Amino acid sequence: MSQPIKCSLCEEAATVHLSQVVHSKVTKVHLCEACAQKGGATDPAVFQLADALTTASPAPTLTCPKCGFTDIDFRKRGRLGCPSCWETFGDALGGLLLKVQHEASHVGRAPAGTLPAGQLRRRLDDARREMEKAIIGEDYEAAARLRDEIAGLEQQLAHS
Amino acid sequence: MSSVEDILAAENELTHLLGAQQAVVLSTRIRLARNLDGMPFPGWAKVPQRKEISDRCVEALDALPKFRRGHVLRMGELGDRDRAVLVERHLVSKELAAGKSGAAVISRDQTCSVMVNEEDHLRIQVVKAGWHLRGTWHIAEQLDDALGGSLKLAFSDRLGYLTACPTNVGTGLRASAMVHLPGLCLAGHMDKVSRALNQDGLAVRGWLGEGTEAAGNVFQISNQQTLGLSEEAILKHLGGWIKNVVEQEWNARRKLAQEEGEKFVDRLARSLGLLRSARLLTSSEAMNMLSHLRLACDMGCLPEERRHLVDRLMIEGQPAHVQARAGQELDSDGRDRRRAAVVREALKDFPEVVPPTA
Repeated sequence: MSQPIKCSLCEEAATVHLSQVVHSKVTKVHLCEACAQKGGATDPAVFQLADALTTASPAPTLTCPKCGFTDIDFRKRGRLGCPSCWETFGDALGGLLLKVQHEASHVGRAPAGTLPAGQLRRRLDDARREMEKAIIGEDYEAAARLRDEIAGLEQQLAHS
Repeated sequence: MSSVEDILAAENELTHLLGAQQAVVLSTRIRLARNLDGMPFPGWAKVPQRKEISDRCVEALDALPKFRRGHVLRMGELGDRDRAVLVERHLVSKELAAGKSGAAVISRDQTCSVMVNEEDHLRIQVVKAGWHLRGTWHIAEQLDDALGGSLKLAFSDRLGYLTACPTNVGTGLRASAMVHLPGLCLAGHMDKVSRALNQDGLAVRGWLGEGTEAAGNVFQISNQQTLGLSEEAILKHLGGWIKNVVEQEWNARRKLAQEEGEKFVDRLARSLGLLRSARLLTSSEAMNMLSHLRLACDMGCLPEERRHLVDRLMIEGQPAHVQARAGQELDSDGRDRRRAAVVREALKDFPEVVPPTA
């Protein structure tokens, strides 16, 4: 008799076999009853997590310095340990975020008080890019205007 | 009187307020996921940390004017039935009710409830009867601002509000409508509609949320994406689709009424007859028959002002509600008997079903 297929998340025998097509690529995942339940295999939004996790390596390679959470814990739970985990696992989560969210950065509200700083910083990034473009395009008038705006933004940020 | 009994006895707009109910859309819901900066998420926090999180959040919530004379309910202090009642009323999730360290802070009018220590530290929820996306959003926004004023929330410039699960990060916003779609279900179009919604980034779920069946032709439609879209864009996207679904539902209803003629009226009249005389009524049977009654109210086959009573029976016909009302634990037969009695009593002076006017 052939070996039963093991669950992608633990060592149990897999009883739930799923195929998912993401961006015209077929991915197969085998799960045991418990992990399928826990991972919400019936909910497509959550299920994509399990899908992405099966490609992760088995030994912990990342640990959150703040709460001790590891990439293995994330594989088991599909949830992070603390807000700082987002920094620790940020790069590793990039692909997963694109899969479940289709976007990589926030454009919505911010808590009262942090909004100006966040907006300023974003505007500053944009202005710097625009200035470079203006210089390359030899539009010195626009570049000078942007240079003044950047100086103003930097000053505001320093005081915020 | 326990707080949960208080909640059951109080009149609120989902079950009592005449005129708040609308055809097709039962309710509008906004949910915001928020977390305290520097604290582990509830699923990873140790027991004392969860206690600290709960204390800090409950204290901040309790101080807000919105929750004056409201309810603070700690799951560990409630019995099974009380927790089940809260789940059936959508005031807390099954996940929150299953744990001991969760709490819920609920406004007096039951439109706002904040879950503490669910998957995230804070889950702000606002529910209004009928379709009121903007109004519901504004209440949630105000609550969020007020909370952000007293608690330092976990936020990153790049990723927005940081949440335990990557499916909520960014805005942390889940906007949804609870819709009653008997026309599309009877016409056999629901699968098609559901697929179209899924393909455009909206989730379609049953009456009690994730993984539940759509008893009584009631579905919850919500956004999936929370990152890279502004709140405004998320609401607009959902709003556009709900408008579309409501239109399709009306088309399906009118077509059915026209094509089926007397058969259509007969179906609704039979449901009223059955509900009025059944001695044993299961919860799913009640939901499906009540769905016909709601349809009858929308179509002018029953007086529109009876619709809120149908909505109330849909909520109060659920198992934990039936037992709470009876004041005792009941086995399955006991619940079915009791449910039938409650429904019979409520419908005894209902007028007869007449041909549609809508």
